[in-house]
Amino acid sequence: MAEKLKQTVEPVIEVQDICKTYFMPGGMSQSVLKHVSFDVVPGEFVAIMGHSGSGKSTLMNILGCLDRPTSGVYKLAGKAVSDKTDAELANIRGQEIGFVFQNFNLLMKRTIADNVSLPLIYQGVGEAERYERAVRMLHKVQLNGYEDRLPTQISGGMQQRVAIARALINNPKIIFADEPTGNLDSKTSDEIMDLFTDLNKQGITIVLVTHEDDVADYAKRMIKIGDGQKIYDGLRTEYQKDEE
Amino acid sequence: MIGQILREAWISITAYKMRTFLTMLGIMIGVAAVVLMVAAGQTVQNEITKTFDSMGTNLIIIGPGETVSGGVRGGRGRPSVSFDDVESLRSLKDIETASYIVNAAVQAVYGSNNYGVNVYGTTPEYLTVGNWEIEDGIMFSERDLKSGRPYVVIGQTIVDELFGLQNPIGKTIRLKGQPFTVIGTLREKGDGLMGDDQDNIILTPATTLRQRLRSSPRPNYSNVAFVKVTSEDRMESVANRIEYQLRARHRLKEGTDNDFTVRLMTEMVEKVRSVGLILSLLLAAIASISLIVGSIGIMNMMLVSVTERTREIGTRKALGAPNKWIMFQFLAESILISFIGSFVGMFLGVILSQIGGYYFGREVPISVWSVIISVSVAVIVGIVSGLMPAFKAMKLDPIEALRFQ
Repeated sequence: MAEKLKQTVEPVIEVQDICKTYFMPGGMSQSVLKHVSFDVVPGEFVAIMGHSGSGKSTLMNILGCLDRPTSGVYKLAGKAVSDKTDAELANIRGQEIGFVFQNFNLLMKRTIADNVSLPLIYQGVGEAERYERAVRMLHKVQLNGYEDRLPTQISGGMQQRVAIARALINNPKIIFADEPTGNLDSKTSDEIMDLFTDLNKQGITIVLVTHEDDVADYAKRMIKIGDGQKIYDGLRTEYQKDEE
Repeated sequence: MIGQILREAWISITAYKMRTFLTMLGIMIGVAAVVLMVAAGQTVQNEITKTFDSMGTNLIIIGPGETVSGGVRGGRGRPSVSFDDVESLRSLKDIETASYIVNAAVQAVYGSNNYGVNVYGTTPEYLTVGNWEIEDGIMFSERDLKSGRPYVVIGQTIVDELFGLQNPIGKTIRLKGQPFTVIGTLREKGDGLMGDDQDNIILTPATTLRQRLRSSPRPNYSNVAFVKVTSEDRMESVANRIEYQLRARHRLKEGTDNDFTVRLMTEMVEKVRSVGLILSLLLAAIASISLIVGSIGIMNMMLVSVTERTREIGTRKALGAPNKWIMFQFLAESILISFIGSFVGMFLGVILSQIGGYYFGREVPISVWSVIISVSVAVIVGIVSGLMPAFKAMKLDPIEALRFQ
């Protein structure tokens, strides 16, 4: 499916043969990612799966421009990222990427509107516009009227929706969600995943890292990482068939 | 961008009110202490200057020689400078005028009032050398001096103590039972350097004092003589000329010691001033220790804050904050704390110094130095104590920071 789409649409993520090796003192080294390649085209909903220690977190950090590959090429929205400076990477994160974390990472002393609009500060957006856009985003995640509350006053599920609104506020090319339901109960998890599905239907590209099968079920495509290598890349439904 | 950074910094420091306040308190106390000590030092300096100005600084003081017995220097010897010696100095180059005094401590009586006073027997020139001005009436004249008339010119303390609200001019007061006519009053000078009352003074012709108040086996010798020099940079050369002239008049052989002493007011002023300056520097130095402690407090709090907010820093970086932004935000937080602390401390210091001045009855200046010190301290302390924590925050790896529990 991915191959077919690639011919018509420019991929938002191009990973070509990337490796990540950690060099330790004393000449030792450890390869965490070994020659991983794949593309993600706009509008996809991809789940990256793998056991802990498989290298999926490292892959996620590279995809999120928080880390650089040791070798190989990573292009985000057609631009190679590997040779950018720290400041340029920060700028790319602020403009092209939305992050959703397992533990939400909200600033607990700040209002929900401040939290949602935080990425816009670094883009030089003025205060009034930030607030207005935050209110609009909160509407999108069904949190109207909560803009002036503090995160401590709302539930975990609502906090994660605030985080999703924050990830959406700069109209990113792609959203990376790292175990977004890891700290939530199953009912709230379903609500959050329904929200992601909904956003994906509106055309937003989502890359999800998880180790939970029922969370991964929400994604259409699945990439499985094992021992630093890509061991499966295809439809989620087909992978389940393989297992059975 | 600066506005945004300051706003973020402000919100961050106001989120922890108690901690921020306590940290500010350290800087406040430090700056207040420095301002207070600078004010105290300046007040002392001002008092010194005021007193010297009231005495006149281009003055040379000639006193009796030191007694020497068996090679051991003792106290003052007997009066050795005669009235004629002093008069002979008036014609020397660069000397404006010269005068001398003989004094007597007596009780001044007017009606039922009496007051202990220092009576100076002197010449009309004493007004000039002593920087005195006539408030009311006139000074006695050269003729009054020659003929030893019983005239007195009195200081403001005597006016207040003996006459109250009455006009003293033309009234007769008694000194040692003898009648003296008040012909003039002196303008008020205030307290001297040692807190002595300079206005507790009565001037009378030297001859009158010798005849009526204090006789002496050497009636024409002065206790102390004053020479007023035309300008301060001529002091040294005039002092040399005086020494030469007096040695000649006293027929002192070469190799013998002077039987008089010549002291320069400018040297004394310099000595007292430098003591005052050292005092105020010392006070400021001690006070700045508390400032250092205060700035260590800021650094300590900022380091704790960076560690505590590691996850926040990681989040901000993941969401697109450049490293510089993070650094400037933490720097701005410490600068804000030290700025506010310094300003409050400055006002605190100024207010306390004014209260202190009121309490001790001294005029305490509000100096520009307080403002300059406070502002520069605010900036320097803020930057110095914030730099290390800010660098620490800047260098945090976002991946590590996000994993931090």
